[in-house]
Amino acid sequence: MSNSDVNISRRSFVEKSATAAAALTIAPGMFLHTVAEAKPADQAVSSAVRWGMLIDTAKCASGCTACVSACNTENGIASHDRPRTDQQWIRKVTLRDKQTKHEISLPMLCQHCEKPPCVDVCPTGASFKRDDGIVLVDRHICIGCRYCMMACPYKARSFAHETVDATVDHQPRGKGTVESCTMCVHRVDEGGTPACVEACSEAEHGAMIFGDIKNPDSEISKQLLKHGGKQIRADLGLNTGVRYRGI
Amino acid sequence: MQQLNKRMHNTLITIAGLAMLVFSAFAFAGEKPSFAPKVPHPTNGSTECVQPEDEMKKNHMNYILHQRDQTMHQGIRTKTYSLKECINCHVPENSEVRFGDDKHFCSSCHNFAAVSIDCFQCHMDRPMKGKGTQGKNPHTAQATPTADKTTISTDIADTSKSVQDTKEAGNE
Ligand code: SF4
Ligand code: SF4
Repeated sequence: MSNSDVNISRRSFVEKSATAAAALTIAPGMFLHTVAEAKPADQAVSSAVRWGMLIDTAKCASGCTACVSACNTENGIASHDRPRTDQQWIRKVTLRDKQTKHEISLPMLCQHCEKPPCVDVCPTGASFKRDDGIVLVDRHICIGCRYCMMACPYKARSFAHETVDATVDHQPRGKGTVESCTMCVHRVDEGGTPACVEACSEAEHGAMIFGDIKNPDSEISKQLLKHGGKQIRADLGLNTGVRYRGI
Repeated sequence: MQQLNKRMHNTLITIAGLAMLVFSAFAFAGEKPSFAPKVPHPTNGSTECVQPEDEMKKNHMNYILHQRDQTMHQGIRTKTYSLKECINCHVPENSEVRFGDDKHFCSSCHNFAAVSIDCFQCHMDRPMKGKGTQGKNPHTAQATPTADKTTISTDIADTSKSVQDTKEAGNE
């Protein structure tokens, strides 16, 4: 199968999405919409959808960490002042070309691989991929072995070393389990946008787009069609759901 | 000697039987045995749970477990059997009472029955009622679909080779 094959069974989705409400971003931080079309609460997620992100490194400002702060607030991630072991779902990375000294800045997070190595190695089934492509840890059954952290090529996962004093009820997190970006699944299931994408837009950078890459009419698919979107470490053949421009 | 032993045995059985009768008469005297824990009722004044009380007492864990797997793996987010809704309904908002305290809805029984649960090592033991997330902004710019077949051909290059030096900004 080709690495860019994100279009499986689009036809069925197009049929279902004929009634989808129109929603449009008109300016950074501003959303023009009628109704946010969310899946009914009693309906299971479907493989007719694949959630993804497109990140434009040209728009990502070096030094800006709006996405990181938004993620931490949204998911109740607090620092213990121990950077080596603090949990981190999204981080800013600067890439510098040694020859030209050219630097680019980008957010790095779980790439929501179509063929996720973290799922392959998990001995308990705690690491899994939802039908809509979002890769999660079921912390109810995670034993904290951290195999998945070793397997992930993107250093996307963290281990909760210390007791978590919960501050949010939509994202239960606890000591002794592995965690990573959930693509704000609690928001997405209700028709919302991940907190980082929203924050980037509010900071007027608009470097991140979120959407359904199987739906040809979504903003992300249009942008991908027009500009392409590269995978980091495409050589691994994981078909990541998070794509980048300008790398 | 054997005769005497037998008589003593019979007497003992009779005494035991009488004691049981007397005891059970006391036990049934009141409506409720006094040692049962007092479980806090819903804060919204409702007197009915999502299932009859007896059923909930016996099987609430099965309902919650079933819902847990459905929510986690299939994104089914109905509220009826969600743990979050137990808390929203049975623990007063802005409550200072935390899990572990005899007054907490879950602890009131679990402490009594000496059943240790680890739900609240991760889950909130008091209602948040949506605080902490806005989460409603739409993400999709969807028009009425016209074409049913488009090819997305993304340029997939091996970016690993162009990345020569990286430095990472730490978590805040
Ligand atoms: S980026 Fe890492 S954690 Fe995320 S799906 Fe891929 S392998 Fe798993
Ligand atoms: S740490 Fe948890 S999710 Fe990761 S491989 Fe082990 S059991 Fe699976």
